[in-house]
Amino acid sequence: MGAPVMEQKRKERIDRGIKVRSETLYALSSWEEIGYLITPRVLFIAAFLLMPILLSPWPYWSRVGLSMCILALLAISFDFLANYVGLVCLGGAFFYGVGGYTSALLNTQLGLPPMLAIPIATLIGAFLCTAMLAPCLPLRGIYFAIVTLMYPLLMTRLIEAMDILGGTEGFRGIEGFSSPWTEQYGLIFGLFFFLFGLRRLVNEDQGLVIRAVKDNDQSVRASGISVTWTKTKAVFLASLPGCFAGAYYIHMYSNVGISAFALDLSIMPIAATVIGGGGTLIGPVIGAALLVPLSEALRDFGSLRIVVYALVLTGFVVFRSEGIMNVVSRKYQQFERWVKV
Amino acid sequence: MHLDILVYGFIQSCALLLMAFGFSLVYGVSRLPNFAHGALYVLTGFVAWALFKQAGLPYPLAAGLSILISGLLGVAIYYVVLRRVRGMEVSEVIATYAIGLAVLEGLRYAGFRGGSYSLPALSDGVVFIFDVPVDHQRVWLVALGLFMVVAIWLFTRYTRVGRSLKGMAQDERAAMMLGIDSDRTAALAVGLGSMMAGIAALIIFPLGSLVVEEGYKVLIYAIAVCVVGGLGSWPGTVVASFVLGYSQYITVSYGKPHYQMVVMLLAIIVTLVIRPSGFFGKQKQLEERV
Amino acid sequence: MKKETKVHLSFMVIALVALTLSLLPGSVRAADPIKLGAPLSTAFLYGWDAERGIKLAVEEINAAGGVSVGGEKRPFSVDVIDTRDLEPGVPVDDAIKAVEKLILQKEVDFLVGGPVRSEAALAVLDLLSKYKKVSIVSTGVLSPAYHKTIAKEYDKYKYGFRISNEIVNIIVNEMMSVFEKLRTEFGLERVHIMVQDVAHARKSGEVVEKFLKKAGFTVVGHEIYPTGNTDFAPGLLKSRRENAQILFVFMDMPETAILLKQWKNFKLKSLPYGFMSAAEQPGFWDASNGDCEYALVDVINGGNSPSTITPWTMKFVDAYKKKWGLEPEGYGTSSSYMAVYALKDAIERAGTLDSDKVVAALETIDLMGVYGRIRFDPKTHQVIPSTDPKEGAVSGFFQWQDGKRVTFWPEAGATGKLMLPPWMK
Repeated sequence: MGAPVMEQKRKERIDRGIKVRSETLYALSSWEEIGYLITPRVLFIAAFLLMPILLSPWPYWSRVGLSMCILALLAISFDFLANYVGLVCLGGAFFYGVGGYTSALLNTQLGLPPMLAIPIATLIGAFLCTAMLAPCLPLRGIYFAIVTLMYPLLMTRLIEAMDILGGTEGFRGIEGFSSPWTEQYGLIFGLFFFLFGLRRLVNEDQGLVIRAVKDNDQSVRASGISVTWTKTKAVFLASLPGCFAGAYYIHMYSNVGISAFALDLSIMPIAATVIGGGGTLIGPVIGAALLVPLSEALRDFGSLRIVVYALVLTGFVVFRSEGIMNVVSRKYQQFERWVKV
Repeated sequence: MHLDILVYGFIQSCALLLMAFGFSLVYGVSRLPNFAHGALYVLTGFVAWALFKQAGLPYPLAAGLSILISGLLGVAIYYVVLRRVRGMEVSEVIATYAIGLAVLEGLRYAGFRGGSYSLPALSDGVVFIFDVPVDHQRVWLVALGLFMVVAIWLFTRYTRVGRSLKGMAQDERAAMMLGIDSDRTAALAVGLGSMMAGIAALIIFPLGSLVVEEGYKVLIYAIAVCVVGGLGSWPGTVVASFVLGYSQYITVSYGKPHYQMVVMLLAIIVTLVIRPSGFFGKQKQLEERV
Repeated sequence: MKKETKVHLSFMVIALVALTLSLLPGSVRAADPIKLGAPLSTAFLYGWDAERGIKLAVEEINAAGGVSVGGEKRPFSVDVIDTRDLEPGVPVDDAIKAVEKLILQKEVDFLVGGPVRSEAALAVLDLLSKYKKVSIVSTGVLSPAYHKTIAKEYDKYKYGFRISNEIVNIIVNEMMSVFEKLRTEFGLERVHIMVQDVAHARKSGEVVEKFLKKAGFTVVGHEIYPTGNTDFAPGLLKSRRENAQILFVFMDMPETAILLKQWKNFKLKSLPYGFMSAAEQPGFWDASNGDCEYALVDVINGGNSPSTITPWTMKFVDAYKKKWGLEPEGYGTSSSYMAVYALKDAIERAGTLDSDKVVAALETIDLMGVYGRIRFDPKTHQVIPSTDPKEGAVSGFFQWQDGKRVTFWPEAGATGKLMLPPWMK
């Protein structure tokens, strides 16, 4: 301001050469480019595949690893709806609970083994969730957020009041997995399936339409595509990982009750997404990987762990952080330099 | 007939009005959903308790101070949190809700649990209205609820500050052109709304005991009343309080006490699905629906 | 140089010898502790009173030399974890995670205490069988479903025991005789039932209604309140319309205090009676400004209010008062205290910490305890109840009178007589 002679500078971000080179078919031209592309992906996948083996001497922490995968699935569901479809769903516990109860019924009433009950419950649960949420789909913004926040609460109260679905006792004695290895790898492959499946889908034609709904729904409508129908499909896709998480979890603990609709299950995924970086689908998984061990370490302090994640969540939202994934991938793909204005 | 339905339904309605009015005021003026409303309600109760029982202040002073503290906290929440995310409604909801969560669970962590904390009633005793026993505190509650409605009406009509609040609520751009500071008005609204939550707490808590869980309940009740009445509509809030108050009381006396909460949750969902702007809200097609 | 090294060496030798010597008796004294895990909802009465009972017993046992396992004296150590299961919304999931953490991370040998809520304790049975850990539930968990589940699938669920009284027995043999006492002494026979919506309380409401009708009482209403309910006016006004004479309350939530306050304010011509966790504590008189006067409270296991059931009862009450500065507060205290002693007895007879052997030893236990003779039914793993302390575990009922908890039932342990509020005469 004071001295006009002083030269002013600004920061400029430029894609790294290797990023540009590896975007096209030329990526195959050298090992360096291939390595640049696949290293992060391989690291990510390997970390998950090795987790059960590395953690096997500490059975407690391998259980925590599983809780992390469960939360990651819920967070993916939230991230997909919020950042690709533009529907902020504050009731992730609804998907989880519906999936859990469906699988419990399939197992205890029809006697289906977990490996059959879980995928069927995931599909049926997603249908149920979509059907129940369908009337709210024309809503947007805060209205959709409030209404979804109320869904799991209503389920809890209805189960209590009408004494349906086992009332406050829920269902017990649900069949577990045959071995800890099937249990752990089943969940990890499930997580991979939904994570990479959705990541691929958002770049396909269908995914582009879904993303257009978020950016400009009027233009989607102008192109003769039904906005509500597109949203319905998107909600179905988002409820799949949520229902899968619930269905899987109840077989891990042989038990389901109204705590499957608990508020924690709606808020934690949001925190994981915001911390890890929304709009990337990988970010929420990273967020879950940070949040769950932290929250478990604080379990001895009772409700303090909720205080901690609530404050972390507020901090990230208020300071509009992009989240870890977005920052890291920018550093990986771009470099910064000061240039003269 | 069951006259107690008439009497207690009315009391319940006034309680709902007290719980919801602060929330409605904030949203009406500055379109800010203060999801920390329930937490401020509970916090005021505990602050008053601490000032009265721990610090030994006379109760009227403790009550006044705790309401003031609640108001200041509201202002602080506006300047520290809400101002930064203003306009991004969903961020506003998540941020204020998380603050509320931290306050409530923090209180629980600090050891404020169970039913062993209570606030004194304004006066003890029972009056019979249509042969239905009503304790004095409930009479106070009704009186205060009605007083609040009148006071707000007078305030927004005849005082400068009140009129600027109303102006902001009606048309933000026009109000700003007339020199009303949007930030200051919003902070004022959040502060006032929080004070109202505090007043409601001090008048409703003596009916029972101070429990953290009330925070979640009050938030849902406030949302239900405001959504049914039309988010941001003050007459709507009053009418919805009575509709929901009576339906709550009737379902409880003929059905199970469980339905108290079910009524509220269903009211929210059904209203939003059928008519998102509630009884009195203006239809804002583009904002609400596609 | 050389000399110095020698000095160093000799010092080291001396030090080593001293170290070994100091370790030898030490290794006997500080043997590996036997780890107890106590999953409790510590924010609530039934959590913290059980925690205090357990810690008192552990302290007494360790001071007396510990537990002899196969010729070795080993002390107890306790890990308490907050299960939060008494909070509204019945968060069973948190309780399961907490118990799993005790088993897997804290590597406890046995579980005592909770989880407190029946729903959670039932859910944890699956965990016990998965990790083969013996658990003695001693607080909360009144539901008959607990011992029925164990009896039905004994091989799977045999690791669970319950040392506190179970609700059907409490109602059929104990509560009903108090109802009879109220009818013969004061002519009260119109009952309004108010229970909380949790497994054990709902079940109790149903059973009480059935037995009251069978015994010729009139049941004028039956309300079920969700956990965390804060306004009881609708139900109380109904009982006023119906001229109820006894309010039968069965709730473990702190909000019960509100019910008593409203009852007192309305001056209802009915006597609150039943299971009210909030009203059990000695501090409740002050907390409720005396609103609880005349309420009749069941503390499930004797010894949770001062009484004279066995010689050990007052000894326990006094020891508790000395350590924690107040009388035993409520339901889970004496039973959690006895759970540790029962475990000690069983481990010593089994001579090992092996779960299956300890289960067998617990099945044959016969111990004269704070609230009567402690034996477990070998099929259901339920403590055997009785109205005679020489035959089994007995309960305690008291009435709030002028700031004191006056035990009036069973007659053997009574410290006073029943009274009616002045406005009911």
